[in-house]
Amino acid sequence: MLTTLPFSFYYGGSDANAIFYSALITGIVGGSLWFIQRHYNEKDIGRREGYVIVFFTWVIMSFFGALPYYISGAIPSFTDAYFETMSGFSTTGASILRDVEIVPKGLLFWRAMTHWIGGMGIIVLSVAILPFLGFGGMSLFFAEVPGVEKEKLSPRIANTARSLWGIYIGLTFAMVLMLMLGGMNFYESICHAFAALATGGFSPKNTSLAGYSPYIQYVATFFMFLAGTNFALHYMVLKGKFRKAISGVEYRTYLMVLLIPAIIISIALVTQRGYGVEHAWRAAIFNVVSIISCTGFANEDFMLWPVFTWFILFLLMFVGGMAGSTSGSMKVIRWVVLFKNLKVSLNHLVHPTGMFRVRVDGNPLNPLNVHNVFAMFVLYLMTFAVGSLLLTVTGLDVTSSMGSVATCMAGIGPGLNTTGPVANFAHLHDFAKWVLSFLMLMGRLELFSVMIVFSSAFWKK
Amino acid sequence: MSTIRDINQYAIFKAMGALLLIEGIFILFCLIPSAIYDSECLNSLRLFDPKHDFLPLLLCSGLTLIIGSILFFSTKKLNKNSIGKREGYIIVSLGWLVITLFGAVPYMLSGVTVSYTDAFFETMSGFTTTGATIFTYIESIPKGILFWRALTHWIGGMGIIVLSLAVLPILGTGSMQLFDAEVPGVSVDKITPRIAITAKHLWGIYVSLTILCTAFLMAGGMNLYDSLCHAFATLATGGFGTKNDSVASFSPYIQYVLVLFMFLAGVNFSLYFFALKGKFQRMIKNEELRSYAKLILGVSIVIALGLILRHGIPVEKAFRDSLFQVVSIITTTGFVSTNYLTWPVYLWLIIFLLMFTGGCAGSTGGGIKIVRIVLLIKNSKLELKRMIHPQALIPVRLDGKVISQGVIFNVLAFFLIYIIVFALGSLGMTMLGLDFESSIGGVASCLGNIGPGLGSIGPVLNYGLVPDLGKWLLSLMMMLGRLELFTVLILFTSAFWNK
Repeated sequence: MLTTLPFSFYYGGSDANAIFYSALITGIVGGSLWFIQRHYNEKDIGRREGYVIVFFTWVIMSFFGALPYYISGAIPSFTDAYFETMSGFSTTGASILRDVEIVPKGLLFWRAMTHWIGGMGIIVLSVAILPFLGFGGMSLFFAEVPGVEKEKLSPRIANTARSLWGIYIGLTFAMVLMLMLGGMNFYESICHAFAALATGGFSPKNTSLAGYSPYIQYVATFFMFLAGTNFALHYMVLKGKFRKAISGVEYRTYLMVLLIPAIIISIALVTQRGYGVEHAWRAAIFNVVSIISCTGFANEDFMLWPVFTWFILFLLMFVGGMAGSTSGSMKVIRWVVLFKNLKVSLNHLVHPTGMFRVRVDGNPLNPLNVHNVFAMFVLYLMTFAVGSLLLTVTGLDVTSSMGSVATCMAGIGPGLNTTGPVANFAHLHDFAKWVLSFLMLMGRLELFSVMIVFSSAFWKK
Repeated sequence: MSTIRDINQYAIFKAMGALLLIEGIFILFCLIPSAIYDSECLNSLRLFDPKHDFLPLLLCSGLTLIIGSILFFSTKKLNKNSIGKREGYIIVSLGWLVITLFGAVPYMLSGVTVSYTDAFFETMSGFTTTGATIFTYIESIPKGILFWRALTHWIGGMGIIVLSLAVLPILGTGSMQLFDAEVPGVSVDKITPRIAITAKHLWGIYVSLTILCTAFLMAGGMNLYDSLCHAFATLATGGFGTKNDSVASFSPYIQYVLVLFMFLAGVNFSLYFFALKGKFQRMIKNEELRSYAKLILGVSIVIALGLILRHGIPVEKAFRDSLFQVVSIITTTGFVSTNYLTWPVYLWLIIFLLMFTGGCAGSTGGGIKIVRIVLLIKNSKLELKRMIHPQALIPVRLDGKVISQGVIFNVLAFFLIYIIVFALGSLGMTMLGLDFESSIGGVASCLGNIGPGLGSIGPVLNYGLVPDLGKWLLSLMMMLGRLELFTVLILFTSAFWNK
């Protein structure tokens, strides 16, 4: 939190007090808890503790992270402040701010920071902790990620985390540089780079990236693409294994899922909205990459496009980026597994006695993992249905409700209609904001880790 | 390795012939109401005149019977052992298409519809017991054609019961494989003549219920014609009415009668076997049936409360409207007793979500089917438990019996393909210019064989203004949904043809 102070002072410092006090409070509480528990034996962390730790850490961090907004008065309602913070840490990027540009720069930097921290945390979570707990997209890749062992958290995890953080920081620097080359000032470059690498989406500008040059938008597209890629692949490229990195089925599917919709949408924009070819392509690829990587930057109001194009974007909200990236949603690998199994089902009908094994990159899949993927799919949809229903109870229309729920669960940011890319979540009922905050958390933690904490069987054992 | 040439095309032709013969006879029946309601019928034998449908019906019947006879009688004697699963799949899908193609002709010849797209849509909607209509002024359709319309439902319902309880389980698809083969006459290995016995029993139940429904309706003051048409539509869980406003203007008694029979039509027909044999306990203890009843009751109460408290509607009407719409949608009938789009958003969103549940397996209802939803929920709960205790092997149970992982897998796969078809179908509709709500509502409704949708194809509107391509797409949705997706989709795999 204290790192935001330099920016605060540079830009006028009205929020400095709030930030300082928040940091103080957080530090004191954190310090005392650590002090009380300092004799705790680390070997006692088992599965159940793991789930609880993950869930409560997130909830509590968001509570303390909301303090700067609340204490400074920039966001007077605590519901709103919590929403914005959860949106930050979960790298969603949905905002309740109607006017971003009047918020003091120190606070805005804190906002961007919440994204960056969330992104760092998620890399560790998805690469190390969640597979240990038994799920998460990366559990499908056990053999690939260095340092991950199935039975216990090994010290090599720390090495893995360090290398991945290194990549993360490196890419952030690279993006800041390229943005500044395009004429963006240092402050804005850092904020946008934080948001892009975390696939969050918060921008210090009201119009997100719409007001910037095509060069900036292409830079953003490129880095959103990289952020949505499995970080293990970046690791491979650094070690010189370029061929291996691009040969995986998930990566190839990721490319397809980006290019095909982008092409369809750009054709539609040219023929039905009279866009110039470059403009159409840029609009299409930027938004498709933004949605798939679950970043949520906007460069125009896609609600003005032909219905079927933003319907495609809505459907893409359920796809997500690659496992092992900072993106959210179902993740491309899960869809690969689902489709392969569908083919097996159909083949099974023709040859009921045949034995079919689903393979990913040549490795046969563990049936337990397959069941997990299917279960996740069912749970994702049911959560989406219930969430949409809850939002309509508060009076929101169907399209906005579905859009809001889909976007928050996937950690994207912009929804549809009244919570669309040029709108915000301010007008929502408080209850809706709490529901969405909870959904952001659920989505970020891949649903099961949250559901488990709420199931009776968990506490019985 | 067999190829396409090894498929017994004679069996297919013969089956098509048989189907057309049956269809032709049914069309003949429509001449009766046609003559009764058209006083000048023999003086005005003409075509393309919507006021006189006698000649069109006669000609259509003749055409269908002639072609049916040619196909059936001219194909050589069949070796029964040469009808296999592949022939079965082709017969089901192709048969469905063929009877629809021919069944649409009466609408065209009588001039009631001008576009064949419309006629085909209406006929497909009839046979799949969907009940989505392109007509605005239903009451001005001549009575013979209107009767044919209702009959398409009834025939579709009859067909679907036999299909889902006897034929599809043998082929390996459909929801009845989720149960033990309790239905007499069904042997999993080959199509046997005992299918005829099973079919007879099922049809017996179906016909009896239809007669009962007709009687109850007539007791409420409805004339024979309307009673029959509505009974046809109810037992088939179709939804075609004879009035412009569906059933909204009918008396509360009539609406409650329809609720009862819609409910009965949505029950697994094999359970009626148990009831007939006196085994009531088995029927009442059936888990799917209980879930079905609980769902209906629970949601109706929620919606009724919402209507009473937030909308100020009088208690009896709120309860009746809520119960009626909930039963109508869950059983996938699609009768409309009130414009549910005037309800608060979250209440009709519940209706939309119910479009994905469907009736019980082995009934005339469509959709995903209650038993699959039950298994999906049970499996999800077990997944959570398995995460906490990964070493424990906890199976899913239904009615006390263990459900194998293979079956669970099929249910999951079905759910997945249903959602994907829904998503792609909705995308298709948006591409044709429909708005978000109308697209998802129309596709959900047709895929689930319900009828009324949302937005511009809502309960008090119709599908008339949907672009032609959209009507074809929705017709496809209807057929896919009715035949439980895999039955049709298997025809598109290379493995099927290269067996």
